Formats: sequence, C-alpha cells, structure tokens
Amino acid sequence: MEDIKAYIESGILELYVLGDVTPDEKARVEEMAAKHPAIKAELDEIERSMEAYARENAVAPADDLRERILNSLVTNYGDDSTFDKEMQETGAKVVPMVQPKTYNFYKYAFAACLVLLLASVAALISTYNKLQDSNVQIASLQSSNSKFAKIVNLKLGELQVYQDASFKFLKLQGTAKSPQSQMTVAWSPARKKVWIDLHTLDVPANDNAHQYQLWALVGNKPVSLGVFDKTAADTSDMKEMQSTASADAFAVTLEPNGGSKSPTMDQMVVIGKF
Amino acid sequence: MSKKRKITLSEEELVLALRNREKIAIEALYDMYSSSLYGVISRIITETATAEDLLQETFVKIWHSFSAYSAEKGRLFTWMVNIARNLAIDKVRSKDFKNQNKNQDIENNVTFVDEQKNTVYNPELLGIKDLVGKLKPDQKAIVELVYFKGYTHVEAADELGIPLGTIKTRLRMAIMQLRTHFN
Repeated sequence: MEDIKAYIESGILELYVLGDVTPDEKARVEEMAAKHPAIKAELDEIERSMEAYARENAVAPADDLRERILNSLVTNYGDDSTFDKEMQETGAKVVPMVQPKTYNFYKYAFAACLVLLLASVAALISTYNKLQDSNVQIASLQSSNSKFAKIVNLKLGELQVYQDASFKFLKLQGTAKSPQSQMTVAWSPARKKVWIDLHTLDVPANDNAHQYQLWALVGNKPVSLGVFDKTAADTSDMKEMQSTASADAFAVTLEPNGGSKSPTMDQMVVIGKF
Repeated sequence: MSKKRKITLSEEELVLALRNREKIAIEALYDMYSSSLYGVISRIITETATAEDLLQETFVKIWHSFSAYSAEKGRLFTWMVNIARNLAIDKVRSKDFKNQNKNQDIENNVTFVDEQKNTVYNPELLGIKDLVGKLKPDQKAIVELVYFKGYTHVEAADELGIPLGTIKTRLRMAIMQLRTHFN
C-alpha cells in the first residue's frame, strides 16, 4: 500500500496522462493501473481534470473548418453514399486570395473616383468663372445696346423735326435781363409738338434750386410747357416739351425747381413771337 | 444540413459509434471535441492556417487509427489530445515549419498579425489566463511550458534549471490544484 502511494506521488501518472513517458514507463503505468484500483481511480481523476482544463481553455475553430474537416473524413470513410450530397459538394469550395484582390480593386477604384471628383470640381470652377465673365459681358452689352437704342430713337425723333414741313422754327432772343441769351424752339401746330434745341441753347447755367420753364403765350395767357435744365455738360441735342395746339409766342423764365404755375416775369431770359 | 445543430453523445455511445464507423460519430466527435483540441493546438501553433490544418490532421488520424484506442487504458479525450499535441509538437520541430516561418513575406504577415489579434481577443482565451493565474508561479511556469508550449518534462527541467524530481512534483501539485478547481 505504501508502494502505491509513493508511486502515485511520484508524478508519473500526470506525465502518463500528458503522454510524456517512455514506452517502458507507459507499460508500467498500465500494468499498475490494471492491478491496483486506487491507481486506476487516480489516473481517471487526473484525466478528468485535464479534460475539464482543456474544455475551459477551448478555442472554437472557424465555422467553415467544420465542413472542411468533416468532408476530409468523408473521403476517408469509404462509403460516401451514406452522406448527403450537399455536404460533399460544398467540400470542394476553394476561395483563396479573393479578399485581397477585391480589396485592391476597391482601393484603386476609390482613388480613381477621387481623382475624377477633383478634376470635375476644377472643371466646374473654371466653367463657373467663365460663365460669370460672360454674364458680366452680356449685361454691359445689354446696357450699351439699350443706350444706343435710346439714342437712335431720340435721333429719329429729332430728324423728324427737321424733315417734317409742318414744324416752324422760332428763334427766341435775350431779354433785358440777359441780352446775350438765345434759344431755338420747333413747333408743329398740326402735330401739337414742341421741341427745344439744347445744342444751340445759350442761357446762363441754372443752379440746383432752379430750373428753366418754357411757356407758350396763347392769347396773352401763359401756358406751361415743362421745365428743362441748362448744365455745362449737357450733350443732348433736342428735348420734346409738352404739346400745345396754338401759340402766339414762346418765352422761358427761371423758376424754382419743378416749375411754377405762372411765370415770374422779371426772371424771363428769352422770348420770341411769331 | 444545419450548421447550428450540434450533436452530443455520451462517451460510451461515441466510442461505440466510432468503432462501428457510423457517420453520426464523425459529426459528434467534431462537435464535442474540436474546440478543446483546437485550444491545445492553437496554443502550440499560433499561426491560424497551420493550426487549422493540424486540427484536420488530428481528426483524420483519430478516425484512421481509432482501433488503437482502448477504453480500458484511459479516457477518449486523453488519447485524442495526445494525438493532437504530438502532431503539433512534431510540426513545430519540423524543418519545414521553421523555414516557412522565416520565409513569410510582408503580405502574409499582415493577415498573420490580424489573425493573431483575433486570437488575442477571443473571449475563451481570457479564461485560461485567469485560471493559470490561480496557480503558484512555479507551478504556472511548468504548466505553461508543458501544456502551452509542448515541452517534455525533461526539456522543462532543463529550461527552468530544476531537477527532474522537482518538476514532476510541481507538475503534480499544479494538476492537483486544477483538480480541486474543477471538482
């Protein structure tokens, strides 16, 4: 009995369970275990604890390994017909290196997309700038076009004055207040139109608070035909005034801004009679 | 067939079924023991692809040489785990494996490192460290060498500079500790 205890405590049984014994030792352990139930029981306990230890430290292999290994056993099994077909077919699944390739493909595709995106943005910006330039040009062309259209209309109106035989031209002479002044008025009784020639207008320039006002004398009664300015930089050739069908004389007075209801007689600069 | 379905038999039923070469025995064997066996193998061989190949080899060998197993001499798992350990240790010591490790190119190393990471984060691995942590440091050193690194007790004695007798006693003490833990 002492022998058995010493044998157990030598640690040989543990090594036996771990497979770390020589063939001689192995035979001896098996012989002792067969002879002594105590040794057999001890061996069994060691085995159980190592098995539990292994289970505690288990690492689950990858899921697809199950198929692979079971199939490799099937090939060794001999009688394949007892296994379902599905299992054998999936056994030959080979998927090497697919992942790195797709990974590379997406990497390059992503890089290409990025380059395209940058190029597109650059193109968009340059196109946008050109568009802005064009819009500015169009705006300036439109404004000069309408300016020209206005001028052409004005000139056509002026031309009409000279072409139309019904227009009468009257030269207004300076009064005592301003003997040097003179002005030309074109009037068509038939068309009831009155134009003044600003080009040949020769009166003192008015200030900001005053404007010149044109009057028609109809039977000694003054009728206002509107106001105009004389400025140093005035380039307009002619200006159409309010219409009148009849007039005995025309006169111009200097009035407060916007004109007056009746002429201020002592501010009269020019007058002319038919 | 469903992957989720796991087959469990008693050890006696399984041994009988294996002996009769029944197809259900293969699946039951895998479902019951693959994780425990892979736990041992993957600690000796850290590279996943090789460890997986070895698990396959282990099952093939178990299946082929099952007639050599005798229930009178010990438990089924003891017999199987020794097959797995021997295959793994042979692999580690083979010229082929050493060269293979030297010649890994950069691209393979990337996945290799990734795979190792997975192993590190495997929650099942956390368990071992806890358990081994409960052992005394000298017991722990022996269990790590013999169990995790596949050393023989003679090599472990050499490595630790301890007499053979002491190694055996400490290993016994360590396993006694595990026995009290599990029983």
